[in-house]
Formats: sequence, C-alpha cells, structure tokens
Amino acid sequence: MDSNSNNKKFWKSLSEYNNEPEILKNKRNEFSEGVTDDFEPSELNGISRRKFIALMGAATALTATACSDYRDKGEIVPYNKRPEEILPGTANYYASTCTGCESLCGILVKTREGRPIKIDGNPDHPVNKGKICAKGQAEVTYLYDPSRLKDPLFNKRKVSWEQINNQLISEFNKANEEGLEIALISEHIFSPTFKKLLEEFKTKYPTTREYYYSATDNGNKLNAAFKSYGNYSIPTPRYDKANLVVALDDDFLGVDGNSIENTKNYSMKRDAIDRVNFNRLYVIEGRMSLTGMMSDYRLRLRPDAQLELVWTLINELKNNGIINVPSELSSKVSDYTVTKLVSNYKINEKKLRSLLSDLSINKGKTIITAGKNLSESVHVSVNYLNELLDNTGNFDFNNFDLGSPYSSYKDFENLVSRMESEKVGVVINLDVNPVFNLPSDIGFEKGYSKVKTTVALSLENNETGEKSKYLLPINHFLESWGDYKNKTYVMSLQQPVINSLFNTRQKESIFLTWVTGEAKSYDVNSYHKYLLDNFNTTIYNNSSKKTDSNSFWYGSLHDGIVELNTKPNSKSAFNNSAISSIPNPASKSKFSVYLTEGYFLGGGKYANNGWLQETPHPVTKITWDNYVSVSPATAKQLGIEKDDLLEISVNKKKLKIAAVIQPGLADEILHIEFGNGRKVVGDVGLETGVNAFELISKNNSETNFILPNAELTKTGDTYKLASTQEHHSLDDTFVKDFHKVRKIIQEGTVNEYKKHPHFLHDEKHEIFSITDEHKYTEVKWAMAIDLNKCTSCGGCVTACNVENNIPVVGKDQVLHGREMQWMRIDRYYSGTPEDPEISNQPMLCQHCDNAPCENVCPVNATNHSPDGLNQMAYNRCVGTRYCSNNCPFKVRRFNFFNFRDHFADSYYENDLTPLGNNPEVTVRSRGVMEKCTFCIQKIMDARQVAIKEERPLNGNDVVTACQQACPAEAIVFGDSNDPESRISKYRNHNLAYHVLETLNVKPNVTYIAKLRNTHSEEV
Amino acid sequence: MKKTVLDYTLKIRLPLTLFVIAAAFVITFYASRAERDSVGYTPDQPIAFSHKLHAGQMAIDCQYCHIGVSKGRQATIPSVNICMNCHAVARKDKPEIIKLTKYYEEGKPLPWKRIHKIPDYAYFNHSVHVNKGIDCASCHGDLKEMEKVGQVKAFTMTACLDCHRKPHENLPYLQKVNNGPENCFACHR
Repeated sequence: MDSNSNNKKFWKSLSEYNNEPEILKNKRNEFSEGVTDDFEPSELNGISRRKFIALMGAATALTATACSDYRDKGEIVPYNKRPEEILPGTANYYASTCTGCESLCGILVKTREGRPIKIDGNPDHPVNKGKICAKGQAEVTYLYDPSRLKDPLFNKRKVSWEQINNQLISEFNKANEEGLEIALISEHIFSPTFKKLLEEFKTKYPTTREYYYSATDNGNKLNAAFKSYGNYSIPTPRYDKANLVVALDDDFLGVDGNSIENTKNYSMKRDAIDRVNFNRLYVIEGRMSLTGMMSDYRLRLRPDAQLELVWTLINELKNNGIINVPSELSSKVSDYTVTKLVSNYKINEKKLRSLLSDLSINKGKTIITAGKNLSESVHVSVNYLNELLDNTGNFDFNNFDLGSPYSSYKDFENLVSRMESEKVGVVINLDVNPVFNLPSDIGFEKGYSKVKTTVALSLENNETGEKSKYLLPINHFLESWGDYKNKTYVMSLQQPVINSLFNTRQKESIFLTWVTGEAKSYDVNSYHKYLLDNFNTTIYNNSSKKTDSNSFWYGSLHDGIVELNTKPNSKSAFNNSAISSIPNPASKSKFSVYLTEGYFLGGGKYANNGWLQETPHPVTKITWDNYVSVSPATAKQLGIEKDDLLEISVNKKKLKIAAVIQPGLADEILHIEFGNGRKVVGDVGLETGVNAFELISKNNSETNFILPNAELTKTGDTYKLASTQEHHSLDDTFVKDFHKVRKIIQEGTVNEYKKHPHFLHDEKHEIFSITDEHKYTEVKWAMAIDLNKCTSCGGCVTACNVENNIPVVGKDQVLHGREMQWMRIDRYYSGTPEDPEISNQPMLCQHCDNAPCENVCPVNATNHSPDGLNQMAYNRCVGTRYCSNNCPFKVRRFNFFNFRDHFADSYYENDLTPLGNNPEVTVRSRGVMEKCTFCIQKIMDARQVAIKEERPLNGNDVVTACQQACPAEAIVFGDSNDPESRISKYRNHNLAYHVLETLNVKPNVTYIAKLRNTHSEEV
Repeated sequence: MKKTVLDYTLKIRLPLTLFVIAAAFVITFYASRAERDSVGYTPDQPIAFSHKLHAGQMAIDCQYCHIGVSKGRQATIPSVNICMNCHAVARKDKPEIIKLTKYYEEGKPLPWKRIHKIPDYAYFNHSVHVNKGIDCASCHGDLKEMEKVGQVKAFTMTACLDCHRKPHENLPYLQKVNNGPENCFACHR
C-alpha cells in the first residue's frame, strides 16, 4: 500500500502548483532571490581600505600601550540588602494573570534579578493548564517597549499626577453639578474588585454611564446566548467530550473563544499514540481558517449562507426522523433542503450528506459551534440545533455571567449625538481605542472633539489618546495587582512582578484616587490594600478558613488561583421564541466582504509588537500586513493576480488593499482580517497593513462583519506582501511529486491505520552507512512532533523567539528571506486549488546524527556533541554560510545584519528592550549563523540540578520552550536512549517517520504522521 | 670585491631588521602574557577587605558569604547585608567598617572591582564544579593567604580545557573525577 493512500500531490503555493519557473529556481538556491542583494561593502559603512589600514595601525599602537597595564574589568555591584528570595543567576517564578484578552489565562512569570523575561502558562490554572498563546508570550516585549507612555500628559504636555488628578476630579464634580454625562468606555470588566470600585465611582459621580465594547468582541454570540438561555454567559464547548465537531466558520482553535482551552480539549481527541480515539471535525467556512486546516472534512460556503445551512440541517434531520421540531417552527425551515443549498451555493453535496448521516449517528455526542462573526440568528439556530440533538451536555455553562451585553452601535450613536449637543461632560476611555475601531460613520471622532474633558487611559499612545486632552499612562499587567473571574469556579489573581518602569499607575488605582476625590490620597499600595480588603470580605470569609487571612492570601497569591466553592451553573431551558423570531435569510449579493480577527494583533492592540507582527500568518504565511483573500476562481474571473492592489468599496466606503489568492476560499468572498493599519502607533506598527474597521458601517443588518454588496476594482498598482511560504523551500526540481516521493509529508486515514497499522513503513528501504556508526552511550536528546495535534497556531514560534533572544528583522528583510525565527511551520496544500486539503509541519533543526552542515564548516563552528546535539558555536563562526547551503531542511538562519540596531532605526537598541533578553543565551551579532539548539540552556540547567543532587540526568527533566508553549502538547522532548521515556515511545511508533529519511542524515526530530478521520469510502 | 649597497642590505640590514622584529614580538608576547591573561591583576577595592583575615585566620567558610556557589551559575559577591550580619556589632570603630556601615545605611551600591571575568559568550557554572568537589583554590588560588585578592590563574579557554582534559593532574585531591566535557555547548550557547 502506498504510504500516502490517495496519491496526493503536495504543494505550498499556487505558483508551485503551476510549476512557475521562478519558484523552481528559488528552490534550487540556498536562499530566495535577493537574500544577498544590497550587500555592497561600501554601503555598509564608509571605511575605505586606506582608512582601515590606518585604523589597524592605531589599534596596534593602542594595544601596545594597553599591554603596559591590566585591563579594567569593570565592577561587580552586589545587592545592598538582598531580597531573600532572589539569588543572582537563578530565576524566580511568580503566578499571575494575563489580561491580554478575555480568556484571562493563568500565567507563570519567569523573572531574573527582578526582571520579567518570559511568560508561561500556570500549570495549576484549571482553564489553560500551563499553556499560553503567542500573544501572551509576546507581552514581555510590551512591558519593555520604548514607545510606552512615560508620564501623564495634559494637552500633550507633561504634568504631574497630582495636578492632572486634581483637574479631573474638579471636572467630574462640575459634570455632576451640571448634570452632564460622564461616559466610561471600556471592555467588559472581569475583575470583581474593580467592578466594586466602579460601582463606588458611579455612586460618587452619579451621572456616569458605562459602555462596554471590544474590537474583537463576540457580541453576536453573547446576545444569542441571552436570547436562548436568558443570561449573558456564553457556554464553553467541551471538545474533549464530543465525537463529532461541526464548526460553522468558527475558528475555535485560532481566535474564537479561549483558543488555549479549546486546543487542549480538542487535542485530547486526536491522540494517535496511546489509543486511537479520534473525533471527527467538519468545518464549513467561507475563509480559510486555522481550524479549517485541521478539519477532516472542509466544506466551502459563503458566511452569509450559514443560516440557510443550519436551517437545512434542521429540516433534513427532521425529515429523516432524527429530531422532533415543533410544528410552528418546522414550517419555517421546511423550504431549506440539501438540493437547494447545493444548487444555490455549490456546496459539496457528498460531504454535506456525510455530515447529515454523522449528525444522526452521533446524537448527544456532537458539538456544533458557530463563529463569533456570524449573525445572532445563526447562533440562536445553532443553539437550537444543539438542543434538538441533545448536545448541550457537551457544553460547560460555568462561564461568568457578564450581566449586560456589549454596547451596540446604536448606543454609541446616541452617545455621539449627546456629545454633539454638549450633554456629555467627560469621556473616559479605559484602555480602549474607539477612534480606531468604531465605524467612522458613527462620527465618534467628531463628537469626541466637542467634549470638554476627554480622558484616555492607555499603555501606549493610540488614535483615541491622540485626540484626548488627558492622556494617562497605565501600568502593564506585569506591574499591576488584580483579581479576575471569567468562570464561576475559579478566581485568578494578578500580582506585579516588577515596579512601574515609568511614571505610570495602574488603572484601578487611578479610579481609586478619583473615588476618594483627593488627588493626594494616592499611594502605590492603595489599590493593593483595597483589593486585599475586598478579597478578605468576599473570598476569605466565604472559604472554609483553615488558615488565617494572611496565610490564605499569600497561599492564593503563590498559586495564582483560588478555587471557589460555587455550585455549578445549571443550564436554563431554551427559549423557543428566540428561534421563531428569526427573520428569513435575505437574498445574497454577489460579492461580500468578510471580516475576521487577525491571528496575532488582537484587533490592533498588539500592532506595535514586532514578534507578533513577524510571526507568519498560520495560513498564508504573510507577515507585517493584512490583505484581501479571494478564491482562485474569483481571481481568474476578475483577472486578479497576487500582490495586486485592489480598491474595495462597500457601504460607500473605500479601502485600498493588496490581494492574495487563497486556495480553498469560498467564491465571491473578500476575506480581510482586521487589526492592522494603526496610524498612531510606535515605530514597529507604523505602515503595517490597512485598517479594515474602516469598511464597517453602523447600519449593518445582521452582523457587523459580513458586508454585502461589495465592489472591487483593480487600481493597476501592486503592493508587495512579505510572505514566508516559499522561503526555505526544499529543492524539488529533480523529482516530480517531490513531497510524496521524498515523504516529507506522510499521512493516512484512521480507518486505514486501524486495518493496517504498519502502512507507513511497508516500502522501507534498507539504508546503510559506509562509515561506522557513532555510539551514544549516555543521554541522547530527541524530539517528536505529533502532526495529529499540531494546529500551527504559532505559539511555539513565539515562545522560541522569547526564550532564545531572536531578533525582529522587519518587513523589508522578510521580503529578502532573512527572517530569523528558528522554528517555522510549513504548510502544504494537496488536492485542487479550489478545495484543497492542508497539512502542517513545524520545521526546526533536526539535529541529525549525520549532519550535513557539520562536514562543510571550514572552522568547525558547528559540530556534534556527545549527547546528540548539533551544536553551533557563535564565537567561532566566520559566516561562510556553507552549513546553511548544505542543510537539506533549510533551518539555519544567518545574521545578515546586527538586527538589533538594524530594525526600524535601532528601535530595539535602547536601554529598555535588552532587559527582556534571556541572560542564559548569547545575543548574536552580525555575520554569524544560528539555529535551534534544543534549548541548550534548559538542558544545562537540568544537568546542573542532576549534578547537585548526585544522580544521573533524566531526560524528562528538560522541557524545551516550544514544548512548554504547545497548547496541543504536540511536541515531546527527551532522552531517546531511555527505552521507558515518552520520546522512545514516539520514535518507535508505527506512525513515526523522519523527513528525508533516505538521505541517511538520521534526524533526531521524529514526526507522527497525520491521520484524517474520514470515512473509508472516498468522499 | 667591492661591497655594494645591495649586499649590505641583503646580508646585514634585512636579517637584522627581521631579527629585531621577531625578537620584539617574542619578548612582548611572553612579557605581556600575564597581563593579557590578567594574571596578577590586583585592583584596589572600595573597602580593604582581607580574605586572609576572614577566610584564613578566622576560617569562615567561603559559602557563608558566597552563597550562590553551590546553587547556581554565579558564586555571587556577598550583598552588604551579609557583611552586616557580623559587622553590625563587630569592629564597628574601624575606619573600613565605618565605610561599610555607611554604604549599608545609605542603601548605596558597593562597587567592588571585578577581578575574574570570562567573555559574555562563555557560560561558566560554579555549582557544577563545586558540587563535584572542586576546591575554590584550584582556580582562584589560596585566598586564605591573600590580604588583597588578585587573579592567580589564567581564565582562558586553554586553561579551562587543560583541566577538563587532565583533571587528575590538575585536581590530585579528587579521588573520583571524570574528564570534563569538551563539546562547544558545554560552555557556549
């Protein structure tokens, strides 16, 4: 049997699919075209030969004089009074909470000598269980970002906190006396103590009105939950419980909901190692999402047709006698049939029928979810379908009840009209950016300028801060106290791990000052005390009180969490009237713009974070920009080519944006991700993409994110997007169907595997070496990556960046192919461009036993260690790049510049940013090669402990940064010489294979082949 | 035979010049070697602390002050509060202790001159060496006899590797000792 059962041909991009000669040429080369361009020595710095010799002479003379005395070696300054818990040179860990998004993951912050340098998940936290996403990992950069606001500003001039608070308090009082509104705009508040404080603020200043909104909100889902179940709490799907998952444009492994929790639960049902217990994932979507890439069956359907799909499912299941639908509702859906859906939207009928039969078989064992950008009607219908199929047992109803919805555009319109009629005295923006991400036709910006007192509390300046009279700098969450609760059963605590770096205050303590009405009342510890009081009254007094309150508090702080003994929420009954009030689906326009949240920028919040900007998009592998994706058929129809600059007009708004032809996209859908295009932002985020929020109008009927009646025209210009998808491609000019023949990607189906477990290794060649094998007697390091679990979320890439001091290179350098990330995630398509299947493969240094890079190094800078590592000595490297040329996996990265002073006018070369560097890893400079080291610093740490404890080193003691970050636990690392270890189990598994096995380089990274849980017959 | 200028240049001047250059190089190389390797570097410290008195005569254990040496990479220079454990009461009237107390009370950093230094790209770990039973004196010299601390041995890669390759010769007091690792990642990362 062939290892790739259905004779798939893999390809990475459309140009590759079409065998464009340029791509073939690029593959044969070491780096992509232009990587060594503009490298004229004369341009680097202006030292002529003569000057160089003169300098050399001067240097020699200097050396001679220096010989006469000892070199000064500087000073060592010990602590004056050493804090008891700090031992210089060893790391301390503190539990806290990441407030980067509403998921509120528990984190463990690694600090060295009082400086936070890495954020990992808190293993004790019941929700994220020791894992954290790419955005959370990259938060360290924001703490040390030189663009942070450093002082309070009044009309852009520096003032003291006392002065600014005095002014504001008198403004608040005046507003109250005159009966003017104090508008407080914020995200939903998940902190019980801050909520209490805001209530006090409202009592003190009764004209206060709150507005909740978020750029990345799931308002539609929340409103649907309210309509269906009567409370503002979105049930969490428990993917570990369901055998069948149907995601309707729901990127639950990417950005919809808590992706860490979802990925963890989902991957439990993708275990090919211990027992094959696969679930089956259907994704019906218009875009190509991360979740869609993982699906067993992917159906293309434009997002505005999702309501029809759900109704079709209800109707067909009812007709098959699987579910009972009350007669008043059944008439509503009776028009919707598979035949009609297929003829209207060309959805794949076979797959749809297979979905229907799977739904009938798995009644009660299914999860159907809809994406947050779909309309409320779709969400209500999906909730209803889950009810009908008895699936609600697979949902967790313990999410915190928000008590109120997100403010609608109507609310903001009313606010703006009150602003214009001068009925609003004060507007406070609490770490939000409405000028950037509210639809421009609401006129917020104009209304805002009419308000006398405008306040923005923010970490960095942004579009709203620029227009505000008072700009108050707030603490990063690593400098703040807090308590957070988004599940009823757990409270997550936040503690500062460093003093405020600048003259900033945490936002809660600013409110505390306003509540007391005395600018002088501020004290660094005031909010800490307030929090502690509230904690003692609400949590400690309700606990079983086995210890005194002080020990309880410190114990909770140490753990980072308090488990609450609340009764689990029970699900309320479904409200049938929610479904009957849904209007019938409207007819579809030709082109629709579909907006979704970008993977790494959090709606624009993370725009100034270089690590996140440079992490390649999980699907398109594009960095530093956003773009409009169109399907190959639509592109052909309109004559669009890659990188064409298009003008999209919808709702009388226009946007110029570059095009990407995305295989697998629904036809006539223009998919854009938002979050890019910030205008008032630090140097990193400037000119990165366009602001897709500009297209949204206040008058969208169903959902704000699907914009019908779009038109697009070619401007005739092009805009170069920096995609890494063809960088570091493996050479395939020799053989057609290279990936199949060379077995880079190997996969099968679950059924095939169950029938024939050895299918991968049937046609194994005898590979022998002409030299003697080197024996590894002690520990031998190896890694395994389970491709069944890997979702290509990019968490590992960011974790590696943070752990190993990997520089940001910038868009121009990525265009040259000089990105520095040690880990890349290769994405391969197979099948047709219209409806491809996708395979992902994280690729990093394979630490080959017979490493080809080692033989060619003229200075022996790269060689092999006794524990099986391919080591790289930076201080020995002279930069010939021969090793990279000879690496079959293309995983070596060369420092073409000193990227720290090269990027964005030395943006990252300042006193601040290096504080976030890992002191255990050398900061590389220009002219040296680097690559994955299997986190040698962590291996050496484990070795140090083993020596101290006088025991042999245990392979399980080392957890690499990527392994630690992976929410799916797809990465396993350890000692392959230990037959009992997990890594040995992986390496000897039936599904294990090595990339380019036939070269006999003997890689130490094993891949576990992906199994697709499809039906045995080809669908 | 008449001697030409060329003969003179070739036979005398050139060899002489070459000899002078070579000799100058060799002499400078060896004469400056100690300084290049910092052997003998004995800077003045802000406080005239005597290891001879503390470690020698009073026989205080090294780890009483250098607390990190068996726990991690850095041996750590003692923080001022460790000095004050004793000197809050002991010898309070001596000028050096008055200086010390002043640093402590003002909370000012005490800038000791650095004596031993290896490059940034080399990661030496004190704890793995000390926990294997290697004596401090094997690298730092006999501190018990030093009034003022200076560097005794070279801290070059050659010196590291010499001991890693021939531990029995260099550390005769250790009964059981294996060769140290010689691979790059042992020190460079």
